[in-house]
Amino acid sequence: MNAVTLPLTAPNRASGESLWHKAARKFGRDRLGMLALGVVLAYFLVALGAWLGWWAGGWADLTGTKWEPVSSAHWFGTNIIGQDIFDRAVFSTATAFEVGLSVALAATFIGAVFGAFAGFFVGSWIDEFLLWCMGVLDAIPFYLFVAAVAYALTDNPWAMQVAMIATFWVGTGRLIRGEVIKLRGMEYVEAAHSIGVSELAIIFRHILPNTGHILLVQASITFVSAIKAEVILSFLGLGIKDGMSWGLMIDESTKEVLAGFYNNFLAASLLMFGLVMAFNAVADALQDALDPRKVG
Amino acid sequence: MEILQYALRKLLAGLPLIFGVTLVSFALMVYFGPDMTYQLLGKNPTPEQILEVRHQLGYDQPFLQRYLGFLREIVTFNFGESSTGEPVTALLAKTIPVSLILILPGFILGHVVGLLLALAAAYWRGRWPDKLIMAIAVIGMSVSFLIVIIGFQIVLSSSDGLDLFPVRGWNASSLGSYLSYVTVPTLATMFVALGYDTRFYRSVIVEEMTRDHVRTARAFGLPESRILLRNILKNCLIPFITRVMFSIPQVAIGGALLIESYFGIPGIGKATYEAIVTGDQPVLKAVVSLTAILFVLVVILNDVLYRVVDPRVTLK
Amino acid sequence: MAGDAGRPVLKVRDLTVEFATEDGVIRAVDSVSFDVLPNETLGLVGESGCGKTVTGLAMLRLIPMPPGRIASGSIELDGRDLVPLPNRDLEDLRGRDISMIFQEPMTALNPVFTIGNQMTDVLCRHRDLTRRQARPVAAELLAKVGIPEPADRLEDYPHQLSGGMRQRVMIAMALSCNPKLLIADEPTTALDVTTQAQVLEQFRVLQAEFRMAVVLVTHDLGVVAETCQRALVMYCGSIVESGTTADLFSRPRHPYTAGLLASIPRLRSERLAELPVIPGRVPDLLNLPAGCRFADRCPRVQERCRAERPVLTGRDSGVACHFPL
Repeated sequence: MNAVTLPLTAPNRASGESLWHKAARKFGRDRLGMLALGVVLAYFLVALGAWLGWWAGGWADLTGTKWEPVSSAHWFGTNIIGQDIFDRAVFSTATAFEVGLSVALAATFIGAVFGAFAGFFVGSWIDEFLLWCMGVLDAIPFYLFVAAVAYALTDNPWAMQVAMIATFWVGTGRLIRGEVIKLRGMEYVEAAHSIGVSELAIIFRHILPNTGHILLVQASITFVSAIKAEVILSFLGLGIKDGMSWGLMIDESTKEVLAGFYNNFLAASLLMFGLVMAFNAVADALQDALDPRKVG
Repeated sequence: MEILQYALRKLLAGLPLIFGVTLVSFALMVYFGPDMTYQLLGKNPTPEQILEVRHQLGYDQPFLQRYLGFLREIVTFNFGESSTGEPVTALLAKTIPVSLILILPGFILGHVVGLLLALAAAYWRGRWPDKLIMAIAVIGMSVSFLIVIIGFQIVLSSSDGLDLFPVRGWNASSLGSYLSYVTVPTLATMFVALGYDTRFYRSVIVEEMTRDHVRTARAFGLPESRILLRNILKNCLIPFITRVMFSIPQVAIGGALLIESYFGIPGIGKATYEAIVTGDQPVLKAVVSLTAILFVLVVILNDVLYRVVDPRVTLK
Repeated sequence: MAGDAGRPVLKVRDLTVEFATEDGVIRAVDSVSFDVLPNETLGLVGESGCGKTVTGLAMLRLIPMPPGRIASGSIELDGRDLVPLPNRDLEDLRGRDISMIFQEPMTALNPVFTIGNQMTDVLCRHRDLTRRQARPVAAELLAKVGIPEPADRLEDYPHQLSGGMRQRVMIAMALSCNPKLLIADEPTTALDVTTQAQVLEQFRVLQAEFRMAVVLVTHDLGVVAETCQRALVMYCGSIVESGTTADLFSRPRHPYTAGLLASIPRLRSERLAELPVIPGRVPDLLNLPAGCRFADRCPRVQERCRAERPVLTGRDSGVACHFPL
């Protein structure tokens, strides 16, 4: 059966590749997008270094006294108990990538699969059920839902990520559903159908690969949402349990800013702003590059 | 009459959704939520006391029975008393108005200013006002809500800043004190909404600008500003209404939750958050059912408004 | 003006329109020149993508900019060049001195406003009328284009009317300020054959009544034969042949024109299968040949055609071909 299905997808793959080629060329010419991509990569290197233990290993050590100002020993000063804020901020970069990547990948994957099933079996009970799930998740306000999941999964270090994944897949799911409804009417899908390719094979080998452009953009948008949500959830006490994150630093800073100490707040929020802004710009540039309708 | 019948039909169609929302929320918040048994008991409870309390709280009943009991409470709108002894309805009546007057100004201003900026950006699209507005929007999208709140607080309320408004708390006894307490939360809500809303509004408007009927209007000499403000805007109303309507439940609970917790404002958001943390079942049940009902109402109102703004839509 | 039959209403000279695309600049209209005389109907004929619609839009400067732009040339309406005109003056002119009707009656009208609303918009814009005064005028115009119960139709939304009715509404709107020139872009293409004939007939009657010049943009040679006195044949952004309709149809000189005429199905033709088609495809506008742009498809192509681009021999009656028929 493989031998039969391959030629069917071949022309489509070819045109798919040329779309990606064209998009890469377009993205390469987008100076702002390339700059933003560079910034994201720089952040990623910082995170990589923290994972490999090259730097920021001493984020939890007491290396100074309370609220030390910026100095050569403590580039961003120290916090209320004398920990180095620079190390903590750098270490938090790694946490941000952990949260962002895990949530983005899982939510996009689930959204793709559920969206594809709903779209492929549009109108059937599978579609109805998945739509009902999406409607229900949409109808429960996000923070209420996350809070509930976090408490239902108390002591589970992944509670926050699970809650985000459970809600963030819906947006991707709806988009993919719409796209798959369009794709399933295409000739190559009908051809695959007519020669008896199984429905699962059609969905995963013939349809989903052609929604890659949507998934890529959605994954980058989800990444940003996850990092932003982490901050608020950590403040609400529902976020990162072990370790350090920008959200925990900002939570810590809420008690400090009114006393006139801003180092924690500035370090965490500026670093986070830089990454989120760069990622937003990358997402925009990707969207422009992958949008076949867009000219110029 | 037509609209009333339609609303009733829609309400029936919304029942599965209400069922789903209440089921999921019930399971998460009440069934798997925090166990209150030991908080209610003193030190060293006897096994009999534990059983007694668990029975009072309903923990000993099977899931289905508890859920059905919950549905009965929704239908009769009788949620009993909160764990503090206050009737839930009294708690709602006290906190919801606070949240409303806290959230509404920022909600309305955010959408209005976002729309105005989007119109300006679309009118000068591709030129510097557009680029400037869109750059501001991306910045707005990139800052966390919490950072915006803290930032505004430092700049407007702290002694290192302008020191114009109270740092936290709530007092709406007079218009003056209401305004002084509501300003910082409003500015923060507005700023965060601006990023996403401006981009959304602009993209809808710019998409509509490419339609044939806009070219027709131009071909007949109608001025560009009038085409934008009348012909294009009216065609954009459906996505706009959807956007505004569906942001209501999110803002009403989510936005209120964060702002009220941060500023210590006694609204429904803070009450909900505390109920989640302490496992105050009656309050949670009430909030969950109100949320579900609000969502269905929003869906219905949304469709009715479609009918009002677009002659092609029929209420079938 | 009416007495001065010889002076053209519209003089287009060396009009060039370019579009910036991702892959480079496309010249959609390349040095096009023509005149439109008072009361005449001039056909602008060609396959889709030949630049005829862009030419029509350029007459009102309705080309979306960016990505498009009028790179050079002049468009003179009654001696006044529209190309350098400020937008505000242009807006005064549109719908009053030049009107345009479009191909798609389904989408050309605004779906959320009533017919009456859209018509009175135009009337109030260019004629000194209040909305109340404009309504009977609008109803009268609808009656003129053959719409029954016009006062009731004013209350209707576009989606409540058929395609033919909508196109009549467009025509009524276009006529509402008595324009000197009407650009009609494929006005009947989207309609069924019966409606097409009715609308065209109405069109002829109205043209005589309103005494205006019409530029009819179409790919349909049958429509040209029925309605136009003169026609221009466009290929790849340029005019390849111009002349009176009678001459063009009886003695086409450009091989492309001849090919177009030969591909019209005739009712009496017994063997439809043998309908001749022009072989090959329109060249890529990004990658135009150096010589004659029709060379690759031309049955009479010679060495010179590929090397040297032929020029149009005359503006009102001419051919751009080294070896005309």
